Amino acid sequence: MCFYCLKHVTRHSLGVLLTLLGVWVPHMVNAAPDFALEIRPILERSCFSCHGPEKQKNGYRLDVRDVAIKGGDSGNPAIIPHNAGSSRLIRFVSGVDEEMVMPPKGSKSPRLSEGEVRLLKEWIDAGPAWPDALAGKLNAARPHWSLQPLIRPTLPRLAMHPIDGFILEQLAKNNLTPAPVADRRTLIRRIYHDLIGLTPTPEEVTAFIGDRDPKAYDKVVERLLNSPRYGERWARHWLDTIHFADSHGYEHDIGRDHAWRFRDYVINAFNNDIPWPRFIREQLAVDVFYPEETTLTPALGFLGAGTFDLSTYSTGPVTFDYLDRDDMVTQTMSAFVSTTANCARCHDHKFDPIPQEDYYALQAVFAGILKGDLYYMEDPASARDYRRWKSLIASVEKSDATVLHSAANKPLVDGWLAKQGKPIKWQPLEAGTFLTSEGSILKRSTNNVFLAEGKRPDKDTYTVTARVALTNLTALRLDVLANDTLPMRGPGRNDNGNFHLSEIELRIFETGGSHGKEVKFRRASADFNQTDWGIERALDGDSKTAWGIFPAVGQSHQAVFELQEPIALKANSSLAITLKQLHGGGHLIGAFALSATSEDPANVVIRPKEVEEALLTPTADRNETQRITIAGHALRIAANHALDRLPEKSVVYAAATTVNLVDSNPPGPVKTITEPKIVNLLHRGDFDKPRAVVGPGALSLIPDLPSRFALPNSKDEGNRRAALADWLANPQNMLTWRSIVNRVWHYHFGRGLCDTPSDFGKMGGVPSHPELLDWLAVWFRDDAKGSLKELHRLIVSSGTYQQSTGHRKEAAAIDGENRYLWRQNRHRLDADSYRDFTMATSGELDLKMGGPPVKHFKQGPGPQLTPALDYTVYDWSQPGSGRRSIYRCVWRGIADPFMETLDFPDLGLLSPTRGFSASSLQALTLYNNDFVLHHSSRLADRTKREFENLEDQINRATQLTWLRNPTAKERRDLVKISRSHGLATACRVLLNSNEFLFVE
Amino acid sequence: MNQNIIHPTRRQFLETIGGGFGGVALSQLFLRDSSALVTPHHPAKVKKIIQLFMTGGASPMDIFDPKPELDRLHGQMLGPKEKPEGFTGPVGAIMKSPFPFAQHGQSGKWVSSVFPEQAKHVDEMAFLMAMTTKTNVHGPGAYMMNSGFLLPGFPCMGAWVSYALGNLTDNLPTFVVLPDSKGLPYNQRGCFTSGFLPALHQGTVINAASPRPVPDLFASDKFAFAKRDGDPAGLALLRRLNQSHAEQHRGDSRLEARIASYELAAKMQLSAPEAFDVMREPESLRKSYGLENKVTEDFGRRCLLATRLVERGVRFVQVWSGPQGATGNWDNHANILTELPPMAASVDQPIAALLSDLKSRGLDKETLVIWTTEFGRTPFAQNGVGRDHNGGSFVTWLWGAGIKAGVAHGRSDDWGYHAVENKTSCHDFHATILHLLGIDHEKLTVRQNGIDRRLTDVHGEVVREVLA
Repeated sequence: MCFYCLKHVTRHSLGVLLTLLGVWVPHMVNAAPDFALEIRPILERSCFSCHGPEKQKNGYRLDVRDVAIKGGDSGNPAIIPHNAGSSRLIRFVSGVDEEMVMPPKGSKSPRLSEGEVRLLKEWIDAGPAWPDALAGKLNAARPHWSLQPLIRPTLPRLAMHPIDGFILEQLAKNNLTPAPVADRRTLIRRIYHDLIGLTPTPEEVTAFIGDRDPKAYDKVVERLLNSPRYGERWARHWLDTIHFADSHGYEHDIGRDHAWRFRDYVINAFNNDIPWPRFIREQLAVDVFYPEETTLTPALGFLGAGTFDLSTYSTGPVTFDYLDRDDMVTQTMSAFVSTTANCARCHDHKFDPIPQEDYYALQAVFAGILKGDLYYMEDPASARDYRRWKSLIASVEKSDATVLHSAANKPLVDGWLAKQGKPIKWQPLEAGTFLTSEGSILKRSTNNVFLAEGKRPDKDTYTVTARVALTNLTALRLDVLANDTLPMRGPGRNDNGNFHLSEIELRIFETGGSHGKEVKFRRASADFNQTDWGIERALDGDSKTAWGIFPAVGQSHQAVFELQEPIALKANSSLAITLKQLHGGGHLIGAFALSATSEDPANVVIRPKEVEEALLTPTADRNETQRITIAGHALRIAANHALDRLPEKSVVYAAATTVNLVDSNPPGPVKTITEPKIVNLLHRGDFDKPRAVVGPGALSLIPDLPSRFALPNSKDEGNRRAALADWLANPQNMLTWRSIVNRVWHYHFGRGLCDTPSDFGKMGGVPSHPELLDWLAVWFRDDAKGSLKELHRLIVSSGTYQQSTGHRKEAAAIDGENRYLWRQNRHRLDADSYRDFTMATSGELDLKMGGPPVKHFKQGPGPQLTPALDYTVYDWSQPGSGRRSIYRCVWRGIADPFMETLDFPDLGLLSPTRGFSASSLQALTLYNNDFVLHHSSRLADRTKREFENLEDQINRATQLTWLRNPTAKERRDLVKISRSHGLATACRVLLNSNEFLFVE
Repeated sequence: MNQNIIHPTRRQFLETIGGGFGGVALSQLFLRDSSALVTPHHPAKVKKIIQLFMTGGASPMDIFDPKPELDRLHGQMLGPKEKPEGFTGPVGAIMKSPFPFAQHGQSGKWVSSVFPEQAKHVDEMAFLMAMTTKTNVHGPGAYMMNSGFLLPGFPCMGAWVSYALGNLTDNLPTFVVLPDSKGLPYNQRGCFTSGFLPALHQGTVINAASPRPVPDLFASDKFAFAKRDGDPAGLALLRRLNQSHAEQHRGDSRLEARIASYELAAKMQLSAPEAFDVMREPESLRKSYGLENKVTEDFGRRCLLATRLVERGVRFVQVWSGPQGATGNWDNHANILTELPPMAASVDQPIAALLSDLKSRGLDKETLVIWTTEFGRTPFAQNGVGRDHNGGSFVTWLWGAGIKAGVAHGRSDDWGYHAVENKTSCHDFHATILHLLGIDHEKLTVRQNGIDRRLTDVHGEVVREVLA
C-alpha cells in the first residue's frame, strides 16, 4: 500500500511539478497512469520472468505491445481497450478466477497488490496508452543455427592446431581431458581405413613404426591422399549420400549398364581434388558450364543417380513427372545443403522456413530432363569436330550461303568438284502404267515424279512400266525424294520418314511380247545407307532384308543399279520396274522418280538430280541456287565422311533433354523433351489439384541469394540447372559449406559435428561444436579453396583425430556419447571395407580401376523386365572377383545379402550414414558365406606359400589381419585349431574376430 | 509405460549406432521380448502375424464383392473416356463376373465359386470391403501395402514389428519371408526391406523348396575344411579371442553384441533345420495343405512352414502368392475366366488348411492372419475379358486373435469401382494391425532425415469395427 501511495504521489507530484514549470503534459491532464513510470515496472517485476523478453509461456509476452494486447497462443485478446473489466489480463492478475491466478502459486514473482491492479485497470480503461517508443518488437527471430551467416570465429588458442583449440576449450569447460595419442600401429590402420578404405600391409606397419622422421605420419598421409585408392574410398561415401545404384528399383528393376561412368567420374573427381564448388557445377550442369570438357559429361550421372519407376512412367505420366523430379530435388538439396526441401511437397515445411512454392520452384529446375542413357563424344577434340560437322550439316540444310561459300569451306567444295568426272546424262522414264498391289495410290506429277497417297498399307509393291528413248541400257537410277506432305518430310511414309526397299526387279518387254525378260543387276550403290540396311540388300533376293535411309530422313536420296551387262533395246521396248517394300509397318517410299542411262557405268556416280543439273551447267553460267546446291552437296559429303571417321560415342546413364530410355535390355527409344514441362504447385501434393504455375528457383531461406532465377531464356532448361548450381556453390550459401565440412568430419570421427549430415533443419541435430563447424566451413571455403584433400590434411593432423579410443570411466560418466571427443571413436568396418580388407589380407585384391561393374551374381531372365539374380552361386575364384567393392554392381531392389547383413544401405533412399547392427544372421553370414570361406582358404594358402612352419604361418596370418603378432596363448590356440581343422579354419576365425572388424 | 521416455532413448540408440558409438546397452542391440523397444501402449491381442499377399491385385468383384449392377450393365461403355493414370490400357465395357456367388456361414458372407474352401471360414474372418490405395501401379502399390509409402526405401510392416517388439525366440529369425518359388514379387526385396531401420529387422528370405532354405546357416560343401563338426571348436575359439579383445577394449557394447550374435547363431543352427522341415508333419496334415497336389503344393508347403515358424516363435511371416510378371499371379489383364481360377485354386485349400491347423494348435489365440493384395481391379473389361488395375476399391480380410469374427466393414459403389462407405486406407489397415499388437501407430516413430517416420506416415485410424 505504501509503495502504491508513494508511486501515486510521485505521479501527481511530477505532474504538478511539470505543470508548475509550465510544461504542457497532456497525459497528466486526464490523470491516467503513466506506462513507463507506473505500469511497466509492475509488469517487469511480476510478469516478465514468464512473459517477457526471455520466456514467453503460452506465447504470451508483456514486453511487446502487440502481443500483450492480442494475447498469446490461446487466441483470446488479453487486453480489451477501454474495457478493463473484460480484459483477461485483469481477470488473471486480480485472482477472481481461482483456476487462473497470475503470477501463479509458487512463483517467485510477487502477486500484484490491489492498488496495482486498480492502476492497471485505470490504465486500460483510459486507453491503454502505450508509447511507441516502448512498444517493443518481436526479436527478428535469430535464424536457426544452420542459416546464420558464416562468420569466421576467432581461434580459442592461437598457438595450437585450430581444431584442437576448439575441442580442448569444450573439453575443459566440461571437466574432460583428451586421450593420449594412439600408438603407431593403431594410427596407421586408422588413416588407411579413413583415407583409402584398405588395411596396411604388415611391412607398411613396420616401416611406419620404425620411421624416426618427425614427418613420418605426414608422409603416410600424403602417400594415401595421392593414392588412387583414396578416390575409390571417398566415392563410395558420395554414392551412398546420393543413392546411386546400377539399376532402376521399383517394379521394373532394369540394369543400367552405363551408370558406372558416373561412378568413375566421382572417383576421378576425388582423386583430382576438384574444388567443391566446381564439383557441384559439374554434376548439375557440366554441359552448360564446361561444354568443351566432354570427358566430364558423365558428371551428369548425378541427375540420374536415383530410382526410375518405369511402370508409372508408362502408365501414369503426370504422377511420374512429379515423383521423379521429387527424387532429384530431394537428392540435390539433401546432398549439397543438408536440407529436407521434400518435406514441403504437400504443405509449407512444418519446421523449416521452406514454403511449398520453393519446393515446386526446385521441381521446375529439373522439368526439362529425363533419366536415361546419354550418348556423348568423349574425346574433346572429337567432340569439337562432331559439333563442327553437325553444325555444317545444319547450315547445308538451311542453305546458309555465308557458311557454304565461306573461305574455310571453299577448299572442301573445290576439292570435291575436282574429283567429279563428266556428269552422266540420265534419261527420265516416262511411265505408261503404274500399279500398286496393296492399295497405295501413286500420283504422277510433272517431272515424272510419283507421290504415294491415300491409306498407308503395311506393305506394298509398286510396279511402273515405261518406254525409254535409249538404244542401249547400262543402269537404272531411283531417286527417293523429300516432300513436305510426307512424315518427317520423307522420303518414306513411315512415321519416322523412312522406307525399306526389299527388292528391285527389272523386266524388259519387246514390242508385242507379253512375257518380259528378267534382267539381273550387277551391283548397286546409294548416297546413304542405313546401318544394317544397305543398298545391296535390295538385290539379295531376300525379301526380309532391305535398303533404308534412317536417320537421314527429310532429304532426298539416290540409288543406282548397274545391269549385269549392257542390253541393247529395240525400238518401242518398255521397261517394267518393280519396287517391293515388304518389311511392314508402312515402310513405303513416299515420293520417287526413275531414270535410265546408256553411258558407261564406270562413270556412274551418285549425285542428286539437282546437283547433276547444276554440274551440267558451265561453271560461269551457274546461278546462286546452283552454286548453293553444289556447295551444299559437297559439304554434306565431307561432313558425313568426317563424322564417319570419328570414334564411337560413349554412353552414361544420366538425365538430359535427349536420352535413350532404359525400358528394356538393350535400351529402347530416344526420348527428347523439347522444352521444360510446366510445373504447378500441387495443393496438398495432390496431382489432381494443380494450382499456380511455378518457375525455376531455389530456397528463399537465404536472404542474400535470390530464390527465383531470372533467366534470359526460361525455355532453356540447361540455364535452370546452372542457376541452381550457382545458388548452391555460392560463397554466401552457408548451408553448402557447413554441409560438406560436416560430412567429411562425419567420416573421420564416425559422427558429424552435427550428427544428421543430411538434415540441418530444426528436426536435425544441433552441432556439438558450432564455432568449430563454422570455422571449418569458412576455412574450407576461403583458405582451402574448396579442396577436400586440404580438409583431410587439417583433420588428420589434429591431436583430436590422433587420440586413442581408450575408455575412461570418469569421462564416460560425464559424456557417455563422447560428443566432446575426449577420445577417438571406434569404427566397425562397413560392408565395403570388410570385403576390401579381407581381400587385401588374403592377397586376392585386384587393384584394376574403372569400367563396367563386377556382378557378384548369376543373372537370368525374370518373369518380366527385372532379371533374376542368384548371389549364392558366384564363384569367388573367377577373374574380377577381387576388384574393390566400389566396382561392385549394386542392384537397387535385389540387394546382395552379404553386403546387406553388414549394413550396406537400401539405396531406394539417400543414405548419408551407415548403420550398425549385430544379429545372428550376420554372424551366420560372416562365418559361413562363400566369400569369407574362400578368402579364409586363400589367406591360409598365402601364409603357407610364404612360410613353412605352422607357427610362422599363424604369425603371418595375425600380422595380416590384426597387424600384430599373436600372444603366446593366442598362438597356441590358433595352432591347435589349425592342427585339428586346418589353417583355413584359423583364418576363418581371424576374419570373424572383432579385432579385425573394428578399427581403433 | 511412458513413451516419451522410451522413444528418445531409442532414437539415441539409432543415432548412436549410426555414428559408430559404443555406449549402448547390449539389450538394445538385441531385441528380445525382455528388451523390446515398445512396452505395449495397451494390452496386445496379437503376438504373431502371417501375412498372405496375392501379388498382382486380386479382383474383388470376382471373389468377395459381388456386384449385380455389373450383370445388368454388362457390355455397356460407361467407364471414363480418358485413360486414368496408372491404367495399362484403354477403358473397355462394363464386365460382369463370370463366377457365381453364394452366401456362406451364419454371417451370410458372399463368396464366389473360386474360393470354396475359404468360404467355410467366413464366420471367423473380418472383412474390409472398402480398402483403397493411392495408385494404380504395381510397384508403388506393393510398397504402399507393405510400407505405407509409394516410394522405395521405407521399412515394411514386418520390419517395423520386429523393430518395435523384438523377437520371441533366439532360435529363428524374427521376420521370415516365403516368396513364391516362381520368383520375387514386384519391387523384388523392396517389399520386405528394413529400409532405414537396422539391417537385423529386414525379412529373412527363405527359399522353402531349397535344400538350404536359410542362407549361410552352414558352410557350403565346397569348403572341405569347413565341415559342420568343426563349428563348435571354431566358434569357441572365436569367443575366447573376442572376449579377450573386449576385456582390453572396455565400454563398447557393440563388441559384446557381436560376441552374443555368434551364440545366437549357434542356437539357430541347432533349431532351424528342424523348423524348416515340413516332412516332420504327419502325412494327413501335409495332404490337407495340398502338398500332394501340383496345383497347391508350392503355396501349401509355405503355409505349413508358416504355421511351424509361428509355432516356434517367429514374429512375422509373409507368404507370397505369385511372382511379379505377366502370368502366374493375380494380375489378370487378359482373361478373368481363365486366369483367376488357377490362382485361386493354388491358394484356397492351403489357406483353409492353415486356418484350421492354427486353430487346432491353439495358435489362433495369439496369431493374426491377414489376406492382402496391392489393389483391386476395374469393373470395366480390358482386352475383352480381363480387368485393369484399380486402387479405388479392394478387399482384405483378417482372421485370428483380436478380431471381430464375421463382420464385413465398408462398402464399395455399385460397380465396385470406388470405395464409398467406411473406406479403409492402407494406413488405417496398418494402424489396426499395430493396434492389435499393442502399439499406438502414432507413437512408433523413427527420426529419419528430419522427419519422425511412421509406418502410417501422417495418416491412419484404427478400424475399431473389426476388432473384438
